Amino acid sequence: MEQFTLEIIQDSLIAAGDEMFKTLERTSMSPIIYESLDYAVGITTNKGELLAQGNGITAFLAALDSVVSSTLEKFNGKNSLQEGDIVIANTPYAGGGTHLSDVSIIYPVFYKEELIAFTVNKAHWTELGGTFPGSVSTVATEIYQEGMHFPFIKIRSKGELNQAVIDMIKVNVRLPDSTLGDLYAGIAAAEVGAKRVITIIEKYGLETYKKASVSFLDYGERMSLEALKTIPNGVYEGVSAIEDNGFGEGPFPIKAKITISDFEFIVDFNGSHPQVKGAVNLSFNGLVTGCRSIFKAITTPQMDANGGAFRPVKVLCNPGTIVSAESPAAVSIYYETMISAMDLIWKILAPLIPDKLPAGHFRSVCATFISGIHPDTNQFYIQAEPLAGGWGASNSHDGNRGQLSCGSGESYNIPVEIREMRYGIQVEQYAFHNEGGGYGEFQGGNGQYVDYKILSDGAYLTAAFLGAETKTWGMNEGIDGSYNYFKIIRKNGGEERHSLGTNIYLDKGDIVRCATATGGGYGNPKDRSKEQVLLDIKNGYITKEQADIAYLSF
Amino acid sequence: MRVATDIGGTFTDLVCLEFDKISGKPIGVRVSKTDTTPSNFEEGLLNAIAKSNLNLNEVDFFAHGTTVVINALTERKGAKTALITTKGFRDVLEIARCNRPDLFNFNFVKQPPFVPRFLRFEIEERMDYKGEIVTELNTDNLEAIVQICKEEKVAAIAICFLHAYKNPEHELTLLQKIKNLLPEIEVIASHEVTREWREYERTSTTVLSSYVLPIAKNYLNKLEEKLKHNGLKNTPYIMQSNGGITTINDVKANPISMVESGPASGVFGAIALGKVINKKNLIVLDIGGTTAKCALVENGQVKITTNYKIDHSRTKAGYPIQTPVIDIVEIGNGGGSIAWIDAGGKMHVGPKSAGAMPGPAAYGRGGKNLTTTDANIILGRIHPNYFLGGELKPDYASIEIASEPLCQSLNATKEDVAKGIIRIANANMTNALKLISVNKGYDPRDFSMVVIGGGGGMHGADLARELQISELIIPPHAGVFSAFGMLMSDLRRDLIRTNVITLIDESKSSIQNIFADMQNDAIDKYKTDGFQENLIKFTFYADLRYAGQEHYVKVELPNFSKNTPLDEIINNFHEAHKKQYSFSLETKVELVNFHLVAEIEVDKPDFPKLKISGKSVEEAIFAFQDVDFDDLGKHNTPFYNRDFLEPEMLIKGPAVIAENATTTLVTPIQQLTVDIYGNLIITML
Repeated sequence: MEQFTLEIIQDSLIAAGDEMFKTLERTSMSPIIYESLDYAVGITTNKGELLAQGNGITAFLAALDSVVSSTLEKFNGKNSLQEGDIVIANTPYAGGGTHLSDVSIIYPVFYKEELIAFTVNKAHWTELGGTFPGSVSTVATEIYQEGMHFPFIKIRSKGELNQAVIDMIKVNVRLPDSTLGDLYAGIAAAEVGAKRVITIIEKYGLETYKKASVSFLDYGERMSLEALKTIPNGVYEGVSAIEDNGFGEGPFPIKAKITISDFEFIVDFNGSHPQVKGAVNLSFNGLVTGCRSIFKAITTPQMDANGGAFRPVKVLCNPGTIVSAESPAAVSIYYETMISAMDLIWKILAPLIPDKLPAGHFRSVCATFISGIHPDTNQFYIQAEPLAGGWGASNSHDGNRGQLSCGSGESYNIPVEIREMRYGIQVEQYAFHNEGGGYGEFQGGNGQYVDYKILSDGAYLTAAFLGAETKTWGMNEGIDGSYNYFKIIRKNGGEERHSLGTNIYLDKGDIVRCATATGGGYGNPKDRSKEQVLLDIKNGYITKEQADIAYLSF
Repeated sequence: MRVATDIGGTFTDLVCLEFDKISGKPIGVRVSKTDTTPSNFEEGLLNAIAKSNLNLNEVDFFAHGTTVVINALTERKGAKTALITTKGFRDVLEIARCNRPDLFNFNFVKQPPFVPRFLRFEIEERMDYKGEIVTELNTDNLEAIVQICKEEKVAAIAICFLHAYKNPEHELTLLQKIKNLLPEIEVIASHEVTREWREYERTSTTVLSSYVLPIAKNYLNKLEEKLKHNGLKNTPYIMQSNGGITTINDVKANPISMVESGPASGVFGAIALGKVINKKNLIVLDIGGTTAKCALVENGQVKITTNYKIDHSRTKAGYPIQTPVIDIVEIGNGGGSIAWIDAGGKMHVGPKSAGAMPGPAAYGRGGKNLTTTDANIILGRIHPNYFLGGELKPDYASIEIASEPLCQSLNATKEDVAKGIIRIANANMTNALKLISVNKGYDPRDFSMVVIGGGGGMHGADLARELQISELIIPPHAGVFSAFGMLMSDLRRDLIRTNVITLIDESKSSIQNIFADMQNDAIDKYKTDGFQENLIKFTFYADLRYAGQEHYVKVELPNFSKNTPLDEIINNFHEAHKKQYSFSLETKVELVNFHLVAEIEVDKPDFPKLKISGKSVEEAIFAFQDVDFDDLGKHNTPFYNRDFLEPEMLIKGPAVIAENATTTLVTPIQQLTVDIYGNLIITML
């Protein structure tokens, strides 16, 4: 009967993860947390093995366990963690690292004076100081420009909050209420999780709890190995590139060699370009997260995340490349490079497993950061958000429209009605576009336009839309999709097209048009039925003129 | 005579309360269950009336709940619907919120919108967030839109303009114009359905309400006519998702308000029961065949939310419906939930259910999977004579066959597998019960648990033990409790309006004005239905948050008036936030949504009391059988017939109480008493 008890303990841990997730969502102050759900929460063993994880986005799969490992490396021996301690960290180059904006709260859980678990969360705080609002820049050249750095320090020591650090935060960030609100929300979430872990241990006993942890990790590994058997063994290679570093330089090649057996999934990124000037560098830990996401997508997408499931994954890359950057490389838009790395693995593997991976999607977060003064309240605002775009078609269906990228997940757009109250912006349109591409037996999903009209002088835009020079890729004779880019339409009529841009000055009446790409098509366009093409025209997903050219049978 | 009828997915339930003509005291309850007739719902209803020999002439009060709306939605059987939006925003409905709950599945398929793109139209107009006009309404292209709607044989049109929750002027003008141009088509504008912000959620709600309007209206018309034809004097009342009833005309204008009426009435029945027996803090658990639903009642009140979604799951984003629905957590665990083993060798129970056809293996209708019900039979917890209301005997051979593969892969006996199924099912339900209690800062020990539905009595005892709930109540007719709840419901309207205001002294008068405006709105609506203003009871709520947060906490404003100090409201919010999230802040507090409840109390009957004839409790025993209570051991256990139980009887566990629609388990460490209303009350020994 014990096996059922172990399973129930596992499910209870997952339920505790869900509860931490909700707590952070509902109490945070950053729209990027409460709408974009750009955060993850989790529970690990006392050694940092991941037992349960609640995800808003796919991007933190290697973040929680490794941030605990790095915490344990720093706090050991005489300097070990005490009951009531809470550690805060955002170092990009160590465990858990992505960029400074993602701050981890690490909460050691004690039971009868024994360290038995960690509850941990990592969330994107909208403001951490640095050169530019939102702590993100496409022209940063060193990490010192990207905001405050918490190198694994105790924000709480034996139950006592470190007021000195809180005072430092208060004067170093542009939105102190929001930033500190996020800190308290993170602590509250970790605390809730810790309480639940203790309740579980009190109910079932520490020994049984420990047994359940071991059995759960082994279970995760078994599930992954079962799924791995269904993927053809072999060695597969590919090359892609990071188009631009924000200084007009590039492209910078990234290379991947993937070795798949029934027991291992090895991704080797050696041979990728050295780290670059600019903020598009990805730390090794970020690369591991990207690799784990793709691995999960093709093995156990529906299973709750679990450290054991990643035992077959090995990521190789020597330090110092654009996908394994070291201090003091700037990394604030690491996510674009991480998604490019994911897209590369995806493109290499899709032909092997077309039922799991469709043609290429718009593969960029297309994040925009607009800051300025609200015309009615005179308050400083920063609007930070990811955008939706087109997904690739697959061998069984047309591409999805209006979805965030693979780096997001259970993340939400910001409603126009909420946005217009909070920020000095009016949305002029939120609609699918007809920039063409993505033709195939199955049609790629349309990209979209979002037009922001600026309502007060002196606003600034920072944005990174990789994919301005390369179209989304079609598959199996499907046609490539279109481009990501953004455009400033000045009120005097001038227009500027961009891929990356930092602190672009905007006046009242200027319009920022964000265009996200249409996804790649799947299969030969001549195999698409005439009725379907006619219906697409009727719906305006493609124009008559596009159909005439793209669909020869038409 | 008072009658309530509830059309559910499988059965149509009828509950009838009869009164003594002289004393006016209730003298008895008649209950009947007939099959639901999906092609023609009102037929099933008339069958139920016929089956219980009801004379509609004698019925003073008739309440009705129906799944006609949720069915039309889940089976996509609604009307061909068009949508008109602000220029530039017709794709909001399809873009939705861009989220992907199935986040690691890169080959997911997004759920399609209810209105195809060629029927989504745009009209030039624009309000800003303050409700001020930025661009005047320009209906130059309306005729072209109307033309396409005619050609495409559109049956309903939804209108949703940006910021119409704040200022519906443009929607009102367009609505009138379309009604003039297309009198035969149903039209709904968003502000008639919801006055909350978030354009996608409001558009979706308006579209779905339009989508079900023709079918719902048609159904309600036929129902009204047939009931009248059969002798009903008064017009029937309709059950809504907010736990109140309303008039048939009110529902016809906004049928989406019926979407979750069944579960709502079950919870309100429990609240009514609680009032009678003086229990105001309740956890209500309803276990059916496919799902279990639970809700928390604090001080006789259940929370109302507008975050409801259909077709929503851990892998599907679903479709939001911003209508007041009582706050229920639903999980895929019921009597028919199937036990299965995944690739890693782990056993799961549900969410897939064997349903009514083929049903659990024990039904002998070809069900090849072992279900929760089968596990209960294996453990001896259900008496063969009382299985499925005594209509058939459990098919033990089928159970044997269905358990075989599980036994093999788990290398366990049939009994151990059965215990495992029950433990997992109970753990799933415990997690759901924690979601509504512990996770929201409530201690289950402060609550009584009312279990209803076919499976409530079977699992309630274990769940109460697990959560240390001191008292478990199984009311009479627990199997048809939703219908029973309708007899106990009041007329109720929930008005909710988004209007973000910082709680400072200067905003006090705006707050009063908005509430006053909403009160007038409610008074007007009730007057249209023929009710006087002085009958209305108002309750005030506010959705509050710290400035900078997005989500909010609902706080009641007791006895709200112009003299209510803001400090009191703010302090209540700090406490509520602390209770739910364990911290409070010194930041400014914002009011996001105004929520006004306008109720008119319906003259409700007393609960009928049971007579005491002085029979001994032993007379109710009809069998002894070995029952496996898992960790509490296997015991030769007496089985009692509930019909023979009387008030003041005391039964020590282990015991099983059998009745037609359900079975109640009393573990060896619990005892059971019967109260004057026939409720079974289980407490720890």
